[in-house]
Amino acid sequence: MTTADRDGGGPTQSPTGGYYHLMRAVIYRDLLIWLRYPVNAVLGLVMGVFFFALMFYGGQMIAGAALTDTIEGLIVGYFLWTLSQGSYVGAMSAVQSEASWGTLERHYITPFGFGPVMAAKAIAVVFRTFLTSSVVLAVMLVMTGTGLDLHVLTVVVIASCGIASVLGIGLAMGGLGVLYKRIGNVTTLLQFAFIGLISAPVFEIPWAALLPLAQSSAMLQRAMTDNVRLWEFEPIALVILFGAAVVYLMLGYLGFVMTTRRARSLGVLGDY
Amino acid sequence: MIVYASIEIVTVTPRLFREVIDLPGPLDKAETESMTGPPQQASQQPSRDRRSSSRSANQSRSDPETPALSVDGLSKTFGSGSDAVTAVEDVSFTVESGDVVGLLGPNGAGKTTTIKSILGLVRPDAGAVRVRGIDVYEHPRRAYEHVDAMLEGARNDYWRLTVRENLRYFAAIRGHDPDSLADRHTELLDALEIESKADTQVRDLSRGMKQKVSLASVLASGVSVAFLDEPTLGLDVESSMTIRQELVRLATEHDLTLLVSSHDMDVIEAVCDRVIIMNEGRVIVDDTVPNLLDGFETTGYRISTRNIEDSLIDALRSEFDVTDVDRRGDRMTFEIAADSAQFYRLMNRLQAHDVQLAGVETVQPDLDDVFLEVTGNGDGEHAQTPPIDREANP
Repeated sequence: MTTADRDGGGPTQSPTGGYYHLMRAVIYRDLLIWLRYPVNAVLGLVMGVFFFALMFYGGQMIAGAALTDTIEGLIVGYFLWTLSQGSYVGAMSAVQSEASWGTLERHYITPFGFGPVMAAKAIAVVFRTFLTSSVVLAVMLVMTGTGLDLHVLTVVVIASCGIASVLGIGLAMGGLGVLYKRIGNVTTLLQFAFIGLISAPVFEIPWAALLPLAQSSAMLQRAMTDNVRLWEFEPIALVILFGAAVVYLMLGYLGFVMTTRRARSLGVLGDY
Repeated sequence: MIVYASIEIVTVTPRLFREVIDLPGPLDKAETESMTGPPQQASQQPSRDRRSSSRSANQSRSDPETPALSVDGLSKTFGSGSDAVTAVEDVSFTVESGDVVGLLGPNGAGKTTTIKSILGLVRPDAGAVRVRGIDVYEHPRRAYEHVDAMLEGARNDYWRLTVRENLRYFAAIRGHDPDSLADRHTELLDALEIESKADTQVRDLSRGMKQKVSLASVLASGVSVAFLDEPTLGLDVESSMTIRQELVRLATEHDLTLLVSSHDMDVIEAVCDRVIIMNEGRVIVDDTVPNLLDGFETTGYRISTRNIEDSLIDALRSEFDVTDVDRRGDRMTFEIAADSAQFYRLMNRLQAHDVQLAGVETVQPDLDDVFLEVTGNGDGEHAQTPPIDREANP
């Protein structure tokens, strides 16, 4: 059957797929594009490891055993930073790259809707970032001779919540990029802000847990170093974790919708 | 006395044949075909006539009550106050299922804003758009099931993906399982003569091939309404011809509705049933291509002579609308816009002066001329001075 039969119009091919095919196609495309810029892909991994090595060996020379005592925290923090960094930049640049390639507007004209398609692209970015950050994590563990007691479900859920809040920021910045075109100065500064958010003292300053990434970072530290499972955390900690993730993701998505709506009013959605 | 022995009518067009032998009255399609027989290039070159005749069968398949596209009172102004620029003003038209409509206009006429407003990519200030009867602004997702667009030419695709990967991706984000459309994709690539490049990354293709990939990816999901902005931009003649053929084939065989924006009048004339011409944000012409050309069917002639005196030309100027006078040695060519009586009178004048004719040919307007005239870029005197026919006497 064609959709023509449903709507009384011409012979449009009826949909033969759904969100599964959308997600699969978006993830596959994201990985293909990433692999087809091999220098960028390899350098991303190498630089990720390189900066950690600088911190680790440089820190050992300066702090000696003191660093070794806190190496798990450093590894976990760095892992979360690479994840958040990759997701934020990926989500933001996914929007801006599509605009510059000339393909953004085609994502608007889909039966899924612009928001869901771009959200799928953001998820694809997170998926890829998990893969690359996991490689960096493995190298870090080998390099430092450290073992982390990883409970995969706990780590994935907590890290995902942290990433979700960052994704929200990335989507909002991507929308601003479509609207104002060049906002590189702001987006770069935000990347450094993540370092502060990851190391926010949520135990000393409780409200800091409401910031993006902060609660996720603190809980991930405990999960990876003290072997705390997801269901062993205090309920309030979980509420803050999930709440922050949902709120920042929704705010970011709302920002994305509003900025692209404004871009449509100005007629600059596909411009770059 | 006129010496007809030296007349050189190398390209005998049906209209010239009629006007010289039989004179007034336009040819109808049947007459044209009977005179010319099947055009030799008919199998290679898409023709509007063929589209019309074969489409009539398709039209009976479609619901005549539901246009493929209806645009009503579309308006868009950018900016405000003294900086306000009205890009589109009260644009309305409908496109029936299976029709191929050309959207023309000079730069800044509002074509792109119109197309983007129809698609919802630009938010209009006023107006309603329905695709297959579905309000695009109220129910965009349902409407978008039927529509895709090629807005950025060769930039419409991912250059780092292969041709087939692009088709699969764009089919998937439009709600399809790409595997279920594999045969369609192969058929499309084959028709556009890029099947052999299916597994090549788009960046490694020529511009013309990129353009074809772009078109293929728009059609990959089986939409029934497509918007094509400059589909043949940058293509060589052969590639352009392939795309024209495919557009005509899809419209005739698959009832595909197309809105084509192009500066290439040959493409518009070859594939479009109807033309909408915009200027300064408004629709100024909305008519079929034959009607537009017929409206320009002033009788014009280019006459080549061998022994005409300048003084006679000067004398003729006062009596006839003589233009484009060109003398090369003893041979002089000039054009006149004239009806049959004037043409006969001119012949008599030339005969009276013993002017030897070297050639007589009709001058037929094309869509370029129509476009220039209606958009105010022509000389405003087309009725008297039709331009030279491109297929005239070599």
